[in-house]
Amino acid sequence: MKTFINLYIANLKEYARDRMAVFWTMAFPILFILLFGLIFSGSIGDLNFNVGLVAGDSDPASAGVVLAFKSVPIFKVHESRDLEAERAALQRGERDMVIVVPDNLSQSIAEGKASNIEVYYDPSATTTAQAGLSIVREVLNATERRIHQTTPLFTIQSKQIQTKPLRQIDFIVPGMLAMSLMQLGLFATAQPLVALREQGVLRRLGATPLPRSTVLASQIAFRLTVGMAQAVIILGLGNLVFKVQIGDNLPLLALIVALGALLFIAIGFAIAGLANSEESAAGIGQMVNLPMMFLSGVFFPLSFLPSFIQPIASALPLTYVIDALRQVMVGSAPTNPMGTNLLLMVAWLAASAVLAVKLFKWES
Amino acid sequence: MNAIEVSGLKKHYGTTRAVDGISFEVKPGEVFGLLGPNGAGKTTTVEMIEGLRAPDGGSIRVLGMAPQADPKKIKMRIGIQLQTTALYPRLTVREVIDLFASFFDGRKPVPTSDLIEMAGLTEKAGTRSKDLSGGQKQRLSVALALVNNPEIVFLDEPTTGLDPQARRNLWDVINRLQKRGETVLLTTHYMEEAETLCDRVAVVDHGKIIALDSPESLIRQHFKDTAIEFTVADALSLDMLKTLPGVADTKIKDHVVTLYSADVPQSMAGLLAMSERKELKFRDLAVRSATLEDVFLKLTGRSIRD
Repeated sequence: MKTFINLYIANLKEYARDRMAVFWTMAFPILFILLFGLIFSGSIGDLNFNVGLVAGDSDPASAGVVLAFKSVPIFKVHESRDLEAERAALQRGERDMVIVVPDNLSQSIAEGKASNIEVYYDPSATTTAQAGLSIVREVLNATERRIHQTTPLFTIQSKQIQTKPLRQIDFIVPGMLAMSLMQLGLFATAQPLVALREQGVLRRLGATPLPRSTVLASQIAFRLTVGMAQAVIILGLGNLVFKVQIGDNLPLLALIVALGALLFIAIGFAIAGLANSEESAAGIGQMVNLPMMFLSGVFFPLSFLPSFIQPIASALPLTYVIDALRQVMVGSAPTNPMGTNLLLMVAWLAASAVLAVKLFKWES
Repeated sequence: MNAIEVSGLKKHYGTTRAVDGISFEVKPGEVFGLLGPNGAGKTTTVEMIEGLRAPDGGSIRVLGMAPQADPKKIKMRIGIQLQTTALYPRLTVREVIDLFASFFDGRKPVPTSDLIEMAGLTEKAGTRSKDLSGGQKQRLSVALALVNNPEIVFLDEPTTGLDPQARRNLWDVINRLQKRGETVLLTTHYMEEAETLCDRVAVVDHGKIIALDSPESLIRQHFKDTAIEFTVADALSLDMLKTLPGVADTKIKDHVVTLYSADVPQSMAGLLAMSERKELKFRDLAVRSATLEDVFLKLTGRSIRD
C-alpha cells in the first residue's frame, strides 16, 4: 500500500511539473467552457429574423400586411421600396428573408384574386428558412382570416415540460464533459503509457520487486484523479459563470463521471497494449475518438442521425455516458433508463479491462 | 556459497544462438566482468541471471535461488543497473532515490544521502533528473541499483557513451563498491575497463566463453611477449617480418602491424635495419605490453571493437 501511494504521488509530481501537460488537461477545459459559454448561453428562444419588406405602393391592404409582419416579435423588419437593394442585402447576409408585397393589393382582394407574395431566402440556412417561412404563412393566414372576418377554430397554447429553462449550453456541456473524459482515456492515458514502455521505464520498474499490479493501479488512480479534476473544473466553472445546470444528485453525478473516466482509461490501456509506438497509439485513439464524437450525441441528439446508423450509435460507450450525464444534470428525456446506462457502462468497463490485461505489454 | 552459478546457459532467437552454453561462477566479494564485442551475448546472459529473461536451457543459481522460481526474493537482494535513465525526468535526484528505496519494503534501507554521496551527486541532489549530464545520469542509475543494500550488483555496460572523465568518475564509484566488499557482475566492451576494475574476466564471443581468468593471468598466459606496433602505407607480406630475431607472432590489420616479441631490443634492431635497407617503410612505431584486446585478437582473429 505504501509503495502504491509513493508511486501515485510520484506520478502526480511528475505531471504537475510538466507545464504543457497541465495546460492541455486543465487550462484547456477552462478556456473551452468559457468559449462555449459565451457562444451558447443565450436561451433557445433568442432567434431573430432580419426581414426585408418591400411594399411598392401605399395601399391600405398592403399597409395592413406590412403591419401584420411588423408585429411578429422575432421579426426585425426593414421597410424598403427597392427590391434589388434588399436582395443584395440578403446576399450579403444582412437579411434572413426578403418579402415582397405586390402592388394593387386592395384591388386584387376585392376581386377575389389570389395575390402572390414573393419570399426570397437563403436555401443553405435550412432550419432558419423553414422556421421563417412557416411564420410568414401563419401571418398571412391570420391576416386572411381578419380580412374575411372569420374566427379561428383552433388556438395553440404551448407549455414547456421542464421547470428550469433549457438552453443550448445545458444540452452541450454534458456532451463536452463526456468527451473530455474520453480524450483522457484515449490520448492522455495511451500515449504516455506507450512512451514509458518504449523508454524502458516499465522494464526498469520490473527489475524491482514491485508487483506489476501496483504499477498499473497507480497509473489508473493517477489518471482518474486528473479526470475528476477536469470534471470539477468544467462543471464548477460552467455552473458558477454560466449557470449551467448540474442537477441535484451530486453523488450520482460523481459516480457517473468516475465510471466514465475508468471506462475510457481501460480502453486507453488496451490501446497502449496494441500500439507499437506513440504515433500508432495516437492513430488508434483517433479511430476510436472520431466516430464516437460525432455519433454519440455530443453535439446533437441521436435522433438527428440517419436511421441505419442509429443502432451502431446507440451501442457506443460514449452514448451511455452522455445520456446518463444529461439525465442527471439537466433532467432531459432519457434515451435509456439510468439503470441501463450504468449497467452498460460497467459492462464496457469490464470488457475493456479484460482486453487491457490481455493486450498490455511491458516491453516492446 | 557462490554468489552466482551459471551452468550450460542457452538462449536462442529463432535460429540465432545468442547464448550458446555459458558456464561460470562468481565468488562473493569479487568484481567479475563479461567482456566481449556488441552482440556477443553478454547482456542476454546477465538478463537471464537477473530474471528479466527466460533461458532456453541450462541452470542459474543466484544466492542459492533460481531466478525463474523465486524472482521477487532475488530482486529484493540484488541491485540492477539498466541502460535506461528516462525514469521520472521531472523528479529530483533525491526524490527518485527515495521512490526506488520505497519499492524494497522490508529491506533495511540505505540512507539516501549516503547513496548520493557515493555516486558523487551531492551538489545535484535537488536537480531534476532530466537536467543531469550523461555521466551524472549513469551514476544516478548506479545509485538506484544500490538503494536496497544489495548483495550482488549488476552493471550493464555502465560507461557506454560517456566521455573519458565521466568514465573515470564512474570507475571510482565501482572501486568504492569493491572496497566495501560488494559482489559485482559487470558487462563491458571496453577492455581497459575490464582490466582496471575486474578481479576476473570472462571473454565472450558469439554466445560462448572463450577465456576466463584474472586479466593479468589471461595476458600472461597468451602473451609472454611485448607488442611492437607500427603503421605501413602499402600492403605487406608478413613472412619477411617473421624472420626478425625474437619475433614470436605477427598480425596485421588495416595497415597496422603488430609484432609479438620476447626480445624487444633484438627485434627492434632487426626492424630498423630492414628500414635502412629500404626493405620496409613504416611510421608511428610504438612498443607496448599486451592487453586483453590482444588476447581477444589472438583467440578470435578479430578485434573487440568490430
